[in-house]
Amino acid sequence: MNTKTPVQLSLNVSLRDDATFANFYAQGEANAQALFALRSVLDGQSYDNVLIWGARGAGLSHLLQGVCHQADERGLAVQYFPLADVRGYTAADLCEGLEAMDIVCLDGLEHICGNSDWEQAIFHLYNRMRDAGKPLLLSSHTSPPSLPILLPDLKSRVLGCVVYHVESLGDDGKKMAMIARAAARGMEMPADVATYILSRASRDTAELFTLLNRLDDASLQEQRKLTIPFVKSVLGREH
Amino acid sequence: MPESAWEQCISYLQTELPAQQFNTWIRPLRVGDCSSTILQLLAPNRFVLDWVNDKFKTRIEELLNDQSVSRKAVEIAVAPRIEGANLAPIASAPPQVSSSQSRSPGFSAPDRPSIPINEQPNNHNIIQQAAGRSGADDRSPPQSRFVDEYQSAEALNSELQQTDSNSRSSELLDVDGNNFGRGYVKRRDVEGGIEHKSSLNTNFVFNNFVVGKSNQLGLAAATQVAENPGGSYNPLFIYGGVGLGKTHLMHAVGNALVQRKPGARVVYLHSERFVADMVKALQLNAINDFKRFYRSVDALLIDDIQFFAGKERSQEEFFHTFNALLEGGQQIILTCDKYPKEINGLEERLKSRFGWGLTVAIEPPELETRVAILKRKAESVSMHLPNDAAFFIAQRIRSNVRELEGALKRVIASAHFTGKEISVELVREALKDLLALQDRLVSIDNIQRVVAEYYKIKISDLHSKRRSRSVARPRQVAMYLAKDLTHHSLPEIGDAFGGRDHTTVLHACRKIKELQESDADIREDVKNLLRTLTT
Repeated sequence: MNTKTPVQLSLNVSLRDDATFANFYAQGEANAQALFALRSVLDGQSYDNVLIWGARGAGLSHLLQGVCHQADERGLAVQYFPLADVRGYTAADLCEGLEAMDIVCLDGLEHICGNSDWEQAIFHLYNRMRDAGKPLLLSSHTSPPSLPILLPDLKSRVLGCVVYHVESLGDDGKKMAMIARAAARGMEMPADVATYILSRASRDTAELFTLLNRLDDASLQEQRKLTIPFVKSVLGREH
Repeated sequence: MPESAWEQCISYLQTELPAQQFNTWIRPLRVGDCSSTILQLLAPNRFVLDWVNDKFKTRIEELLNDQSVSRKAVEIAVAPRIEGANLAPIASAPPQVSSSQSRSPGFSAPDRPSIPINEQPNNHNIIQQAAGRSGADDRSPPQSRFVDEYQSAEALNSELQQTDSNSRSSELLDVDGNNFGRGYVKRRDVEGGIEHKSSLNTNFVFNNFVVGKSNQLGLAAATQVAENPGGSYNPLFIYGGVGLGKTHLMHAVGNALVQRKPGARVVYLHSERFVADMVKALQLNAINDFKRFYRSVDALLIDDIQFFAGKERSQEEFFHTFNALLEGGQQIILTCDKYPKEINGLEERLKSRFGWGLTVAIEPPELETRVAILKRKAESVSMHLPNDAAFFIAQRIRSNVRELEGALKRVIASAHFTGKEISVELVREALKDLLALQDRLVSIDNIQRVVAEYYKIKISDLHSKRRSRSVARPRQVAMYLAKDLTHHSLPEIGDAFGGRDHTTVLHACRKIKELQESDADIREDVKNLLRTLTT
């Protein structure tokens, strides 16, 4: 027992407040299906293990954290781990006893591939969750068949999940998503402003939404509407 | 009562904390050892322990001490997983309630069955042939020193404190990916503490095991063992690659045993749990409870025995258990990914004993069996799977049954979502990621390298100011691909191509888009490059 050992809590398991299903712009049938599958798990309609995959910025973390928010509302115990950032803990530290949770979300499976301790720990966790009748939800930024998993037992379990590809938003989708999210924050974003942002700023969805937060703060402080000159001035500032 | 103080404490915390924090960190805790000055809380793992210590312990102490005149300290520890072994592994009958209770994490130690469930073996020609490799003739009795140790352990056990009878019910869980989304047991609320159920899965029965050439020997062997447990085919050793149905067969035998004799004590567990339970038993000085528990069953089913490799103490303990069960005529069924002699890191004496009974292989299913599996699974959820669609899936997913089933679930989910009948077209769309190995993670550098190779120019040409058609067009194609396949901003893409303006990138993208409509060569080039970059 390590009760006396001080351990730095370096793993950020906090959920982003805005990573909800309501905030997920599910453009296209593929993304709607992924969302539907995750909702089915939450509704108890399906106990399948689900793996969502897609490019960075496609919204994988957003979706898994959305599951957590929904699970909380329903009083279900849920644990979310971003596997990209598990410093300070061994695989056993994090995976042991997780079957006590109703749902476990492991975000970024590609980060542990090739690490035999992690692969075995997740393999055993998979089995324990299966035995307890609870779903394991996984995400990966690599297509499942391309995941360099060394343990064949884990590989077959990962490939045996119900797999959904979350497609990245195209430029039009990103514009629509920005306009919709701005509207949710009480801001009106004209289409030409969205186009301007997309041609000047990073096109990564997460960074676009971070920029939207900056614009929201600045427009509140300065009591300005979202116009191209205003956005240009905000983009030009250090932050 | 410390539990009631804790209950009051958690009801306060429930009102104070956001639901997410309460559900994640507080609900999994449960009360461990208590004294007048200390309340021990058990966390499922070290991560939860650290988090609760760091964020909530002070508040928990405050709440507890508000309710009591005497001050109580809170100590948080990792819950020993051994308590899962209390989960009455007996698949049918509830465990006998012991007269006294202990907090020690012992095993519910059911009495050895008075009437073994085995009967005289009924030899079967097919099985004997199949057993040819198992070396059944070299069987020898367990060495006497192990028998002695076992007997002395039994004697010691009789003096041990009775174990916790507060074991959870042996409710059978209807779970796993092999179930097609229907008929699962309702989800249970987590009431704190570790639940580790590993009882028989009633979904895995002989009736729904699809037989083909690849697994007919395995099925025949398992059927024989179900009819004559503890006989000549002891242990039954089922081996083969991942996801081929070894676990299914193992559970099917267990379920058949319970069906034939409802009081039968049939224990299924994964080898990892055997090891974990043993480690905890050693830590908690409860190894005799552990021994008694595993030696008192009618049938012991251990999955994925290869994970014993390198774990010498577990192997030794399993060796003794194995001998005791064999001596007592209790059935052992093991699964493994390899033939016994080929398991690295396993003691020779274990390898040799694994071959005493019957060793059967499960091979990957051939096409016809894969199709039959798909049709059967679809039928089980009242979905019509046309032959051409079944063959389409089966021809492409060849590796194992688990992946085949995962793919079918995805197809069925897609059919439900779209409201369409299953067809080859729907299958192609639903499984396109799995089938095409599509991967859009590419960098600008990679795009430039591939484009330069394709057009047989230098990468430096793409960065240069040269405007001749032979360089400018490939550069535009590369810019177009960079916009399509990466998340870089237009200015970043411009920078990566020799510091060009974002409007140049925009122009290039528009130009290539237009050219694809009018120029077959460009269309072909872009198609080839996309294929190279995304597969």
